[in-house]
Amino acid sequence: MAKTDLQGTLDLLVLKTLAQNGTLHGYGIVQHIQSASGELLRVEEGSLYPALHRMEQAGWIAAEWALTETNRRAKYYKMTAQGRRQLQQAEESFDQLVKGVRAVLRYA
Amino acid sequence: MAIFKRIGNLMHRARVDREINAELQAHIEMRIDENVGRGMSPEEARRDALLRFGNPTATRERVMGADAALGLESFWADVRYAWRNLMKSPGFTITVAVTAALGIGVNTAAFSSMDAVVLHPLAVPQMDRVVTIAEQQDRSGNSGVALANYEDWQKQSGSFEDMSVRTSADMSLTGAGDAAHVNAKLTSASFFTVLRAQAILGRVYAEDECQPGRDAVAVLNYGFWQRRFGGDPTVLNRKIELDERVYTVIGVLPKAMQYPSEADVYLPFAPTAQRLANRTAHDYLVAARLRDGVTMKQAQAELRAIAGRLARAYPATNLGWSVKVESLLDGINGDMTPLYYRMIMYATLFVLLVVCANVSNLQFARGIARRPEIAMRTALGASRWRLLRQLLTENILLGLVGAAGGVAIAGIYLHLILISMPARVARYMSGWSNTSLNGRVLAFSLLLAIAAGIVSGIAPAIEALRLNLVEQLKAGSRASTGSGRGKRLRSIFAVAQISLAVALVIGAALMSKGMWGLLHVADAYEPQKTLTFNVTLPAARYDTPQKQAAWYRASLERLRALPGVTHADVTTALPYTDAGWNDDFEIENRPVFPGKDQRALHLAVSDGYLAALRIPIVAGRGFTKSDSFDSVPVAVVSRRFAGQYFPGQNPLGRRIRMSAGEKKFEPWVTIVGVAEEAKYTLWDPTVYSAVYLDAAQIPPPSATYAVMTNGDALALAEPARKALAGLDPALPLDTVETYERLIKDSLTGLMYAAAMLGIDALIALLLAAIGIFGVMANLVGERTREIGVRLALGARREDVLRMILRRASRLTAIGVGSGLVLAFCLARLVANLLRGVRPDDPAVFIGITVAIAAIAVGSSWVPARRASRVDPMQALRSE
Repeated sequence: MAKTDLQGTLDLLVLKTLAQNGTLHGYGIVQHIQSASGELLRVEEGSLYPALHRMEQAGWIAAEWALTETNRRAKYYKMTAQGRRQLQQAEESFDQLVKGVRAVLRYA
Repeated sequence: MAIFKRIGNLMHRARVDREINAELQAHIEMRIDENVGRGMSPEEARRDALLRFGNPTATRERVMGADAALGLESFWADVRYAWRNLMKSPGFTITVAVTAALGIGVNTAAFSSMDAVVLHPLAVPQMDRVVTIAEQQDRSGNSGVALANYEDWQKQSGSFEDMSVRTSADMSLTGAGDAAHVNAKLTSASFFTVLRAQAILGRVYAEDECQPGRDAVAVLNYGFWQRRFGGDPTVLNRKIELDERVYTVIGVLPKAMQYPSEADVYLPFAPTAQRLANRTAHDYLVAARLRDGVTMKQAQAELRAIAGRLARAYPATNLGWSVKVESLLDGINGDMTPLYYRMIMYATLFVLLVVCANVSNLQFARGIARRPEIAMRTALGASRWRLLRQLLTENILLGLVGAAGGVAIAGIYLHLILISMPARVARYMSGWSNTSLNGRVLAFSLLLAIAAGIVSGIAPAIEALRLNLVEQLKAGSRASTGSGRGKRLRSIFAVAQISLAVALVIGAALMSKGMWGLLHVADAYEPQKTLTFNVTLPAARYDTPQKQAAWYRASLERLRALPGVTHADVTTALPYTDAGWNDDFEIENRPVFPGKDQRALHLAVSDGYLAALRIPIVAGRGFTKSDSFDSVPVAVVSRRFAGQYFPGQNPLGRRIRMSAGEKKFEPWVTIVGVAEEAKYTLWDPTVYSAVYLDAAQIPPPSATYAVMTNGDALALAEPARKALAGLDPALPLDTVETYERLIKDSLTGLMYAAAMLGIDALIALLLAAIGIFGVMANLVGERTREIGVRLALGARREDVLRMILRRASRLTAIGVGSGLVLAFCLARLVANLLRGVRPDDPAVFIGITVAIAAIAVGSSWVPARRASRVDPMQALRSE
C-alpha cells in the first residue's frame, strides 16, 4: 500500500526540483514548480516554507545563505544523500498512488 | 535526531526567528523585483507580492513550528499568559486556589496515611515476593505451623528463596530501670534475610547464633529502642536481662521494619531436637520469600503436595492438615484496615469532585466575562484547540497552586493526627510511624492537581469557546448573559454538589452514630471509674499453680485494702475488649464429634469478678472464697452455654474440661452456676458461650486487673503500683489505664476514619452551600433587568422573592433526591464496616436531608432578597 498524502506530494515536488536544479532558494523552487508544471501547480508560500524547514530538520535537505544574482542574501537549499533516498521512495509511492487512482477512475 | 535539534533551536529562539524572517523577507523582495521587472509600479509590485504571500505572521509561526519544538515553547507562553490572567482577578484566583487546596489537601493527607499503613507498611524490598505460610485443619481458619512440618517444607520445597520461623514469648525485662513486660520474637536467622532487613545500628544475628548456648544475643526493634533506651546509640553490647537470662544487644532494626508490629526485641530461636520433631504444637509463624518467577499459587500447590505426603507418612498428627500461602501485605493489613482506608479515600475523592464542581461553576461565571477576549483572539486567528489548551493550562495552573496549598494543609493535618494517636495504639500499626509526605504522596497530589484542573476546566472551556463571533464582536465589551446551555450546566454542577454533600454527610453521620454507640458500649460497667492493667507472671519464678494462685490472692487483698477501692478483681478478659480466648472443651460422658465445633470463651476470673461487673447469677451460685486450690474445681457458665449444650437439662453438677483439643489435661470442672450474658467482643457481633473458671483454682499465667473506685480511677495507679511492688518488685504492670480509655484506644482507627469522613462531609457541605449561593447570585445578577420589568409592571417584592427561592428549592430538591440515592449506597458500605449501623436509619436520613435542604435554600436567601430589592428604575436604566 503506497503511503502518500498531499504533504508528501509537496515534499516530492520540492525534492525533485532540487534534484534537477542543484541548489535553489525558496522563491526559485516556487518559480520552478510553476513553470515546470506548465503553470498548473502553484505552491503556496504558507505551505512551502514550513515544509522546507521540516525537511531540513529531518536531514533530507541542507541549507546555506548565499547571494543571489541581484545581490540579495537568500537561503539556498540542496539535497542530501538521505534526501536522495527519500526522493526515490517518494517517487515510487507517488507512482503507486497515481496507478491506484487511475485504476479506480477507470473501473469505478 | 530532529527532535533534539528542535529543542536546541528553542535555546536560541531569537536567532532562528531572525533567520526565518530574513528568508521570508527575501522571498517577498524577489517577487517584488520580478514584478517590477514585468513593468509594475513599485507600489503595485509590493502589494501584489504581499497579497500572494498571504499572512506572513502565520507563516512565520508555522515555520517556527517546523524548526523548534514549539509545543513546549507555546506551553510556557500559555503558562505565563495564564499567570498574568489569574493575577488580574485575585478574588477569583484566591477562592479557587483555597478550595482546590482544601480538596487536594484532604486527599493528600488521606493518601499519605493509606500509603504508609496499607500500601507500604514496611520497607521490605520486593515485598510482593514475601509470603506468610499457615497450616489449616480441614480447610478451616489459619493455624500456626508445627516445627517438624516446617523442617520438612524447608527440605522438600523448591519454591522459596528462603524460609523463616518465629514464635512469641512474653518476657520480663529486669536490670534496666523499672521492670517491664516485653514482647520478644524468637526468630530463625533467616527471618532477617527473608525480609532483607539490615540493622541501622550494629548487626542482626547469624545462623550459627541460633543454637542453644550461643543464642544470648538480642536485636531491638526501633520503637522499643526509642521508648526504652531513648534512642541511645551506645546501647550496642549492653547486657539486658530477660526472664532472668542475660542477653547482649547486638543491633537495632530500622524504623520502617516494624514487623511484627508488636515486637520489642528479636532473639535467636534455638530449638532443641525434641521441639524440632514436634508435629502437634502448631505454635509457629512462618514467613518466606518466593523464588523469582514462582507465583503464590504455585508455592501453595507445592506445599499442599508436601502436606499430603506428610499426612500419609504421619497420619496420627498430620491427617486433615493443609497449607495456606498468603502475601505478607495481606497478613499485615488484615481485612478491615484496607476497607476503611478505601472508604476514606473514596469519600475524599468525592470531596475533590465537589471542589471541581465548585471551580467549574466559578469558571463558568468568569467565562462569560471573558467572552470579548476570546472572541477577539478567535478573530485574530487563534484556533479553537489553541484556545482550549490555553484555558486548560490556566486551570491546571490553578490546580497546581491548589496542590502547593494542599500539601501544606496535608502536612499540618498529618502532624495533628500523628501527635493525637496514642503511642500504645501506634505501636500495633505497622507503618503508622512512617506516615510522611514522601515522593509517592507528592506525585499523587500532583496528579490530582492536573486531573482536577482538567476535570473542572473542560466544561467551562468548551462552553466559553462556543460563542457566536459576529454577535460577540458587535456587542463589544458590553456585559452579556451566558447561554442557556451554560446556565443549565451550572445548575447541574450545583445539583451535583448538593447531592455529593448529602451522601457524604449522611455517611459521616451514620459512622459517627455507630462509633458513639461503640464508645459507650461498656457504660453499664462504669468504665471511667475502673482502673485496669495487665500482669504476666514470669514462668521461671511462678512455676507452679500454687505460686500463681498465691500471687493473685495476695495481690487482690492488697488492692482491696487501698482507700477508695470498692472492688479489685482479675480476669483473663474484660467485656468488649476482644481479648477472650475461644477454647475447645469436652463434656463428661458425652463424645465429641469430630469436625463439630465445641468451643466457648475460656475466662479465668477471681471470686468477686461477676459481682463487681454486676453480671447476675441466674441459677446455682457464683464463686466464693471457699473455692480454693484445694477444693473441687468449679465453673460458672453463661446462659447461652447452658441453653446451647444443656437444652432442657440442668447443667448444674455436670462436669466439663477445657482445652480439650490440646491434650494438656486440664482438670474436670463442675458447673455450679449459670450467669447472665456478657459480651466480650467489640467488633464481632456474635455473643459467644462463656465458661468462667475460678482463678484461685486454675490460675492463668497472665491476667487483667480491674480495680474499681468511687473517685478518679487513674489516681489509683500509683498506690496500686506501690502496693504490688511491695509484693514482687520485679513484676511489671502493663497498660495501666482506665477501662474507658482501653475501649477508646481500640476504637482509635475507627475514630480516625470517622473524623476523616466528618471533615470530608463538612467541606462538601460548605462547598455545596457556596455553590448554590453562586448559582443563585449569578442568576439574580443576570435577571436584574427582567426583575426590574416585572416590578415596574406591578409584581410584588414577595412574588420576586418567591420566584427566586422556588428556583433554588427546585435545584435543592433535585440535588437532595439524587444525593439520597448515593447516600443509601454509601450507608450500605458503612454498615458493612461497622456493626450496629443501620443503613436505613430514618432519624439520620430525615434529619440530615432537612438540614441540608435548609442550608441550601438558606444560602440562596441572600441573592433572593437582593432580587426583591431591585430598584426598577435603576435596573431598566442600567442597560
